Amino acid sequence: MKQQVKYPFTAIVGQERMKTGLILTLVNPTLGGILIRGEKGTAKSTAVRGLAEILPWIEVVRDCPFQLSPDERGEACEGCFRATCRESVERGETPERVRRQISVVELPVGATEDRVVGTLDLEYALREGEKLFEPGLLAAAHRGILYVDEVNLLDDHVVDVLLDSAAMGVNTVEREGVSHTHPARFTLVGTMNPEEGELRPQLLDRFGLCVTVRGSLDLEERVEVVERRVAFDEHPKEFAARWQKESEQLSQRMESAIALYPRVTVSRKLIMDISATCLDLGVDGHRGDIIMMKTAKTLAAYQGRTEVTHEDVEEAAELVLPHRVRRQPMQEILEDMRSLRRQAAAR
Amino acid sequence: MKSQVCTAPPSGPARVYPFSAIVGQELMKLALILNAIEPRTGGVLIRGEKGTAKSTAVRGLAALLPPLSDQHRCGCVAAAPELDSSRCGAVPLGWTAPRRSAPVVTLPLNATEDMVLGGLDFSATLRRGKPVFQPGLLARAHGGILYVDEVNLLDDHLVDIILDAAASGVNVVEREGTTLRHDARFTLVGTMNPEEGDLRPQLLERFGLCVEVGSEQDMEMRVELVERRCGFELDSAGFCHRFEHDEAELSSRLARAREVLPSVRMERRMRSIIGELTRSRNVAGHRADLVIERAASAHAAWNGRRVVAIEDVLAVAEMALIHRGRDALPPPPPPPPQPEPEQEEQNPEQQQQDEAQQPEELDAPHEESSAPPGEQQGPPPEPSAPNPASVPPQRPERQTPDQQFEVGPTFAVKKLVPPDDRLLRRGSGRRSRTRTSQKQGRYVRSRLEGDGRDLALDATLRAAAPHQARRREGSTARTAVIIRRQDWREKVREKRVGCFILFVVDASGSMGARGRMAASKGAILSLLLDAYQKRDRVGMIAFRRNDASVILPPTSSIELAAKLLKDLAVGGRTPLSAGLSRAYELLRVQLRRDPNLRPLAIVITDGKSNVSLGSGSPMDETLRLAGRIGDDRRIHWIVVDTEEPGVVHFELAQRLAGALGAEYFRIDGLRAADLVNVVKGHSS
Repeated sequence: MKQQVKYPFTAIVGQERMKTGLILTLVNPTLGGILIRGEKGTAKSTAVRGLAEILPWIEVVRDCPFQLSPDERGEACEGCFRATCRESVERGETPERVRRQISVVELPVGATEDRVVGTLDLEYALREGEKLFEPGLLAAAHRGILYVDEVNLLDDHVVDVLLDSAAMGVNTVEREGVSHTHPARFTLVGTMNPEEGELRPQLLDRFGLCVTVRGSLDLEERVEVVERRVAFDEHPKEFAARWQKESEQLSQRMESAIALYPRVTVSRKLIMDISATCLDLGVDGHRGDIIMMKTAKTLAAYQGRTEVTHEDVEEAAELVLPHRVRRQPMQEILEDMRSLRRQAAAR
Repeated sequence: MKSQVCTAPPSGPARVYPFSAIVGQELMKLALILNAIEPRTGGVLIRGEKGTAKSTAVRGLAALLPPLSDQHRCGCVAAAPELDSSRCGAVPLGWTAPRRSAPVVTLPLNATEDMVLGGLDFSATLRRGKPVFQPGLLARAHGGILYVDEVNLLDDHLVDIILDAAASGVNVVEREGTTLRHDARFTLVGTMNPEEGDLRPQLLERFGLCVEVGSEQDMEMRVELVERRCGFELDSAGFCHRFEHDEAELSSRLARAREVLPSVRMERRMRSIIGELTRSRNVAGHRADLVIERAASAHAAWNGRRVVAIEDVLAVAEMALIHRGRDALPPPPPPPPQPEPEQEEQNPEQQQQDEAQQPEELDAPHEESSAPPGEQQGPPPEPSAPNPASVPPQRPERQTPDQQFEVGPTFAVKKLVPPDDRLLRRGSGRRSRTRTSQKQGRYVRSRLEGDGRDLALDATLRAAAPHQARRREGSTARTAVIIRRQDWREKVREKRVGCFILFVVDASGSMGARGRMAASKGAILSLLLDAYQKRDRVGMIAFRRNDASVILPPTSSIELAAKLLKDLAVGGRTPLSAGLSRAYELLRVQLRRDPNLRPLAIVITDGKSNVSLGSGSPMDETLRLAGRIGDDRRIHWIVVDTEEPGVVHFELAQRLAGALGAEYFRIDGLRAADLVNVVKGHSS
């Protein structure tokens, strides 16, 4: 499929924390995604769309509507509309596999619930008198990225559904006479402009990381932003080609980080630090502790180390805690973690 | 195509975190185990903050349950003896299922009613030419666990159905001309985060047990928890292997307890102790007694006793009473304000001064004609002057004309929905027509009438299925199903229709007296919290000095509203008429944009209007204006009186409410009354 050239991720000026956050969620999908908060025109969407170049590769069953990996077949296959594949699975054959990049599935704000979770295939029901499950966006996003622009404007019902499947990693559909379960482990990436309302706390908590982006205040950086953008708009292909090498380097670095991650270790002392920080700041539940530790490990892996350092933990705190610090009801999300932690430590 | 009734629980190839590896949360674990021993305990509701192993525990529990015996081969066949496999669409004829472990059936929030209860299987019906029943989630959960995550977000109607089945152990399906009863004995587990709004008290009370979970405060345990979780994620097979022994032990203890349970006895003496317990907690009805008895019996069985001991009763009593006792109602949604940083930044002295100064404030409400320094001592209209001797030396903030007050304590707000609006909100009833034509909201069930504009195809097919053989005769239709007008079913959709709430806040100097503004801010914040849970949009108008201004244009950002509220300064005179007319202007614009809107306007004031728009007396003008505005029945007005219940009463706010045709409350009157009153007032 011929695709429009996207502004390369590596060509984005500044916004280092956002870029780090996005890279980390790609390296370690179990972090639970990232929420990017910020005003209009701060390269939020550009960054997410620009990921295309550097997305990791996975192995999937050819043409599988549920993006299953070859050893993941099973429940989801029952009642799958691809009869040939289903039958070969039932015969115990190994299905054909392909290697491809993970996909970024965009969830439009106006999407109906049916479209998101999947529903009864109407045409098939009428023509054949049989029930068949027509997969939705959650199926398409399995093992990939589910991207919601303006996530704070999402319809309430759709948010409920997202909460359900993000928590379980499984999408269970019990609607309109069809009953279907398929895996739906996706990395949730949301962007939002906080001026238009905040997220529900439950959904907020599902995002592993949270960054706030702002327009740059540095004059030179601003000029650079504009210059690059103009250059891209005039000659997108040439521009993208110029950044090709950076993208490849980044991809390689991410790949080695993925390979290194399982070997990264954390000292007990640092885990103590992590838990102490979460306790001091009044972080609800334990998800904060767990994700902070995983983020620190991922950071270490990304830096090519097998040992988590104090600096990794510090940086992880900036990414993991802003939206988890217990707030007064409806108080705004805090952006300055450092001073907050100093205060907490001083108490 | 085979339906998936008899497949393994939806654990998939991924391993489940072992129940015995969960650190802490002893109460939750106990409640789950007791229900697993005695499902008739009536389920567990787990309330708690995010990330406290709620779901993990539920999924872990399933692995401990004894596998279903042979007679439970297939959930639906075992559950309904009268359902032989020729009527059950789930099982192909002559199929025998393998022994399977106890099912954990997850009820997704968007489940439709027919999938929960069970109904006609249209494809099987077409194939066999006679009605074939498709078991619902309740049948599938038989012998296992029915798990509802975020149960407070589930459609009330579905919660009702589930709780009915859980309590009786039987599911009765009356649909499409067939009546069917089958056993549905399952352990019901619901989890919820109170931040998202509470369950209706009636539903709350129907859960057998309720536990509150929080995060672990002990450092060692926290670290242990993080380490275990990471160990599990890196090598789940190895991790599960390490806990195999613990799991086996727990599982056999559970099985033993289940065996012992039928022979566990309870002495009469113990029953009276239970009765005493429930009576002392002021619990309505007898369900609590029964729940305690069952849970205590299960607890005795769990500990290998055949006679219920006092410690069994005491161990379970709290879980059975916490959500029932009128005094012990779980805390309302807003989490207790924590010692949180933002407040620390402000200088604590000011707060202290505020507090210190309150006792010396005037006795009766007063107002002022201007905003000079020392505004709190403005000429009072009634003869109650402050005792000058008790006024401490001049404080710096006295010189500034405006004051800011902390937000007072918040509380759970009673329902402020006018009765005629409830139809609209509930989404059933006549008014929902407009909404179904917009096709918004969640499809929860289907109904017969309708013009087919929002066709529920699945229901329509089910309705048509039994007639196919007859209709096919002499028909040349090319489709598999022939659908007639009489088969049409329409979707009934449910949507939490947020309404628009406009706050009209009196920010005049008189509101500053005696912590009145703090209390008012607390009340407004409480209303805002309530608005958040109902997904309302809000706006805010403040009036003081000579005019009124829209400080928050209509928005769904409740956070912004809360922030503005916090910063709202007080001072000056009271232009009440200006406030009302500005409010009406704004509401009219909103109504023009969405004629279906039924806005709620909440006026928070002491009613002492002293600035007029024209030249007449301010109070007369206000009442005249209020009368005119009140004629517009599209707006529901509420007046919250902030006048102190002191010696002298002006009842000005009450007169305002009368003129507006508004509901009238004092701040305290906004509080959700105790459980029983809420139920009585709004159970219809």
